[in-house]
Amino acid sequence: MASSAATRTASKVVKPIFSRDLDEAKRRVRELYRAWYREVPNTVAMFQLDITTQQGREKVREMFNKNKHVTDPRLVDMLVIKGKMELQETIHIWKQKTHIMRYFHESEEPRATDFLSKFYRGHEP
Amino acid sequence: MASRVLHQCVRSLARPSLRLLSGNTVMRAAAGPAAAALRPVSFAAASRRTRWLGQSAISSGVLCRQYGDLPPLTLETIKDRVIYVLKLYDKINPEKLQTSSHFMKDLGLDSLDQVEIIMAMEDEFGFEIPDAEAEKLMTPSEIVQYIADKKDVYE
Repeated sequence: MASSAATRTASKVVKPIFSRDLDEAKRRVRELYRAWYREVPNTVAMFQLDITTQQGREKVREMFNKNKHVTDPRLVDMLVIKGKMELQETIHIWKQKTHIMRYFHESEEPRATDFLSKFYRGHEP
Repeated sequence: MASRVLHQCVRSLARPSLRLLSGNTVMRAAAGPAAAALRPVSFAAASRRTRWLGQSAISSGVLCRQYGDLPPLTLETIKDRVIYVLKLYDKINPEKLQTSSHFMKDLGLDSLDQVEIIMAMEDEFGFEIPDAEAEKLMTPSEIVQYIADKKDVYE
């Protein structure tokens, strides 16, 4: 980043994406959560998904909780932007049912973590 | 015909409030000479009868007409509705819920849970609560106070 390289003082100020501090970034996160929360019933109806609205909302909560630990406001802004892109694609039905159901990973087997399970399955790269 | 009804409304409102307590017979007698021969008297009396019923049925002390509007809000009704909505939320234990219980500290809820609660309040009362003010509402009593401020409800 040119701006961060230019400042040589002790307090580094980087160019923000949208929000200047973490509180503003959290506000954007809350707005995005509201939009997703209100969108889930419409999504379940439009795509004719086989899940309930409650399950859809739990999945939204799970995706938001995955990035709960982030503290950098620029990183939070980037995640919010990606979330907004997903929301736009879902609202306008540019996605299809398979793309929405990929969030749920229902038909995928969990990957093996310990040595013995990997051995039984065969050493896949 | 609409102008004639309005004319009678204005004349009846200009009269002292004694008319409120008097029965329908007085109104019908007064409406008789006022209405023209072609206009049916019973219609005027019936419309005024329903209107006075609407006025006198409200026991909250405030004289207001309910043509097509919701019943007026009071602090108690707001509080009852807020507590009712909160009890329906499945992440809150209904026994531990009081008007002064903090969402994060007492009930152990998340910030996203608090967003969901505020959205439920928006759906219940039918008006938008912007996020800048919504993030400060942390107890049910604060929510009641905010709604009362927005809806001009006071004791």
